[in-house]
Amino acid sequence: MLEYVVSKFNFWTYVILVGIGLYAMIGKKNLVKKLIGMNIMQSAVILFYVSIGAKKGGATVPIFMGDAHAAHGHGIHEIIDVASYVNPLPHVLMLTAIVVSIATTGVALAALILIFRRYKTLNEDEILKIRREAGV
Amino acid sequence: MKAIALIAVLMTGGLLIYSIEGLPDWGDPDSPASTHVSPEYIQDALEKTATPNIVTAVLADYRGYDTMGETAVIFTAGIGCVLILRKKRKGKGD
Amino acid sequence: MIWQLDLIICLFVIICAIAAINVKDLLAAVIILGAYSFFMCLLWTNMGAVDVAFTEASVGAGVGTVLFIAAVNRTKRRSKD
Repeated sequence: MLEYVVSKFNFWTYVILVGIGLYAMIGKKNLVKKLIGMNIMQSAVILFYVSIGAKKGGATVPIFMGDAHAAHGHGIHEIIDVASYVNPLPHVLMLTAIVVSIATTGVALAALILIFRRYKTLNEDEILKIRREAGV
Repeated sequence: MKAIALIAVLMTGGLLIYSIEGLPDWGDPDSPASTHVSPEYIQDALEKTATPNIVTAVLADYRGYDTMGETAVIFTAGIGCVLILRKKRKGKGD
Repeated sequence: MIWQLDLIICLFVIICAIAAINVKDLLAAVIILGAYSFFMCLLWTNMGAVDVAFTEASVGAGVGTVLFIAAVNRTKRRSKD
């Protein structure tokens, strides 16, 4: 039982976080709360990718120890044990995803400030009511 | 609205939980993601790029154009923020 | 990687996420979101993804929290839900 829980626990966390983020994006009325939900959902997807890249059994950070330049310059071709380094590819992709997510958050916050300047509120229902009364 | 949100969350969560059963175990060294292409990157990165950090080697050497496109995305986002938030000058057109 | 640490930090992450979307004060919600980012960062360090972890710590938790606080500062701080 413990074995089963531990073997899938990160994926369960990912599912719960996606649920929380989706609920905040749909169910909450405040626009900042919706953005917080979007951030939580993005982090959940990144957690999923990094969990796929993890390796048990003594695997460490994907950085080579020792004298790297000497090994390169003199053509010494060491046999590198693949099982001793975690999978680096998901890390690279998620590095890009984090930076892009902060860019989308910045543009969304700028749009949110613009909405507040025009309607003087951040509540979705009140904004829709003002728009309906204005006949838009 | 809360009911719609709960229904959507439950349906999405059910699909994701259904998909969890097909995933490999957490930290399995023999999972498909860890045996298909990543061993070649780990073995060849030091010899081909002379960078000890594999993540940096893949980010800046193997996928350099991807990183350049990412920089373009951030630049566009910054320009967008400036254009959205700037104050309109008075007496100039609309 | 240490699976006991992983379990505990996963629980903290879920608690932080639930707190962040349920707090009425928006500034408190944003700060809890920053704490959530740092717990996420610990989780990734535990799994060996150090590059992702320090990018998240500087960009996600640092710059993201600053942007959110700037936006909340220019708008209203109270929220109805």
